Amino acid sequence: MSSIVLDKVSDKSGVRGGREPGARTGRIVLYVLLTLGGFLMIVPFVWMILTSLKSLPELASFSWLPRALHPENYFNALAAAPFAMYFRNSIFVVVGQTLPTLLLSTCAGYALAQLPVQGKKHILNYFIVLLVVPFQILIVPLFLVIRAVPLAGGNDLFGQGGTGWVNTWWALIIPFVVSPLFIFLARQFFVSLPADLADAARVDGLSEIGIFFRIMAPLAKPAFVTIALFNIESAWNGFIWPLVATSSEDLRPLQFGLATFAQSSASGGAVQWPFLMAIATIATLPMILLFVFGQRYFVAGMANAGLKG
Amino acid sequence: MTTRTLEPVAPAPSTVRRRRSGLEKAKARAGWLLLAPALIHSVIFVAVPGVIVLALSFSEFRLLGSPDLVGLDNYVTLFSDSKFVQALINTVIYTLAVVPLAMALAILVALGLNQRIRFRAAYRTLFYLPVVTSTVAVATVWLWIYNPSSGLGNEVLSFLGLSRSGWLTDPGTALSALIAIGVWQGLGTKMIVYLGALQTISPELVEAARLDGASKWQIFWHVTWPGLAPAHFFVIVTSIAGSFQVFDLVYVTTQGGPVGSTNVLTYDIFQNAFGNLKLGYASAETMAMLLLVGVFIYLGRMTQRNREE
Repeated sequence: MSSIVLDKVSDKSGVRGGREPGARTGRIVLYVLLTLGGFLMIVPFVWMILTSLKSLPELASFSWLPRALHPENYFNALAAAPFAMYFRNSIFVVVGQTLPTLLLSTCAGYALAQLPVQGKKHILNYFIVLLVVPFQILIVPLFLVIRAVPLAGGNDLFGQGGTGWVNTWWALIIPFVVSPLFIFLARQFFVSLPADLADAARVDGLSEIGIFFRIMAPLAKPAFVTIALFNIESAWNGFIWPLVATSSEDLRPLQFGLATFAQSSASGGAVQWPFLMAIATIATLPMILLFVFGQRYFVAGMANAGLKG
Repeated sequence: MTTRTLEPVAPAPSTVRRRRSGLEKAKARAGWLLLAPALIHSVIFVAVPGVIVLALSFSEFRLLGSPDLVGLDNYVTLFSDSKFVQALINTVIYTLAVVPLAMALAILVALGLNQRIRFRAAYRTLFYLPVVTSTVAVATVWLWIYNPSSGLGNEVLSFLGLSRSGWLTDPGTALSALIAIGVWQGLGTKMIVYLGALQTISPELVEAARLDGASKWQIFWHVTWPGLAPAHFFVIVTSIAGSFQVFDLVYVTTQGGPVGSTNVLTYDIFQNAFGNLKLGYASAETMAMLLLVGVFIYLGRMTQRNREE
């Protein structure tokens, strides 16, 4: 590996490959290793798609390619459990979380970056502390908070006596309509915008709220896209919270549905791997497409978070 | 004439001050208005739950009725609870394996991708895909890969002339099998952050070092490596916190088995809280986990500081 590392450093210095004797071999080794590594990364996905197109008896012996294609696995798998409903539920959760997140996180981020709010340094520090709290820590108490929502689910004014928001759409959406991480991300973006623009708008008589929506928000499009992409991904992939907060099938998102389907089929003798792989494909494909098309924003968002954090 | 026209343009200083302070007040008011929803939300759904989990850890609470204060009893019980101790050991092993392995591989891949190579975006996509896909779906795929009778894993082993493995069904190999998935899925995020850091290292600096007669290794250790330092902080903190939170993977693949060999802290907490309804005890486990995450992050930072000197 060391030779690759070295070649790369000299390349960075602007020296074209081929100047040093070993450079060419180094580059070939580099391509081979990267390709091998990249192949290892996607083999599980390839194997998933290939398996999803095979028949169940075919799995008894190993082969890479299906003997005959069985695309009907996808329809049969979707019919084996209410996956269409799980899919719809996931979309509800994604949209229900992402739209308010976009509005509330950027509003707060803008206020912290550009407006003279008293003690905003402390407020920013407060959000940074919350940002570090791992979500898993909050599962038990958040469940209790949701269960104690006043006047919901048979609760009295003090949140006692009923089940509150447990097993409702509210439980899946409301705790996630704004997040410290996205407030921080939005704030970092708005800090870099010049204040003159807002001042010019003030002279024109635009209200402060108007300035945010009409002048600043349109300039912050990259921040909005980054926040939307990250949130769509985490809402779509979320599993532990729906598992804890809901019990009825009507509310079950796709990941939860896939996990229960996997377990019920594991306990019932022969596992329907082609069906499971078909559902896994359906569950991963939207995020793969989202990433391929929004790659620029994912990468910029990750790199920024890392370097500024 | 002149004085008359000038007068309205330059009002008395007191009016200016009054108008400016009025503007400042309007800005501050707007700031609070934009900040309020996020602040209120974060108090209810993040800060308060954080306090609740601490308070619950000193009490016994079985969901029905009200919590009874029991002082440090829960914490004392932790030490004699063999399931908790095993989950703790498993989590520590998982973290100590996944974090350094994924970091080292991520650095190597980032160094490779930072070269002048073709298809860089395509390679980057391959390494990042496991990050954006849901853990539930990829865990289902790995469950099939690790299938002892006809999974891909054993085919690869026989192809390499090695004996077949029980993978997740063998208590001796199950945790290692999960570690492999953890490294595979965690690699991409770290790689992107390191790549971002590498691209901030100025080529002039590398070239200057080269002209001064520095060897390739010297350039790597004294120019490239220090340039990665800001990324290390983010990567260490997020990957330690992330690997302590491993849950979806264990839930889908092993449910903590066989014979507790893959029981991790979050899974044990989940079971105690929602399976055994010991919410107070689960909260004490949560606090212990939080403490451990803090210690690990602190130690991780220390090793970094030493290396930099």
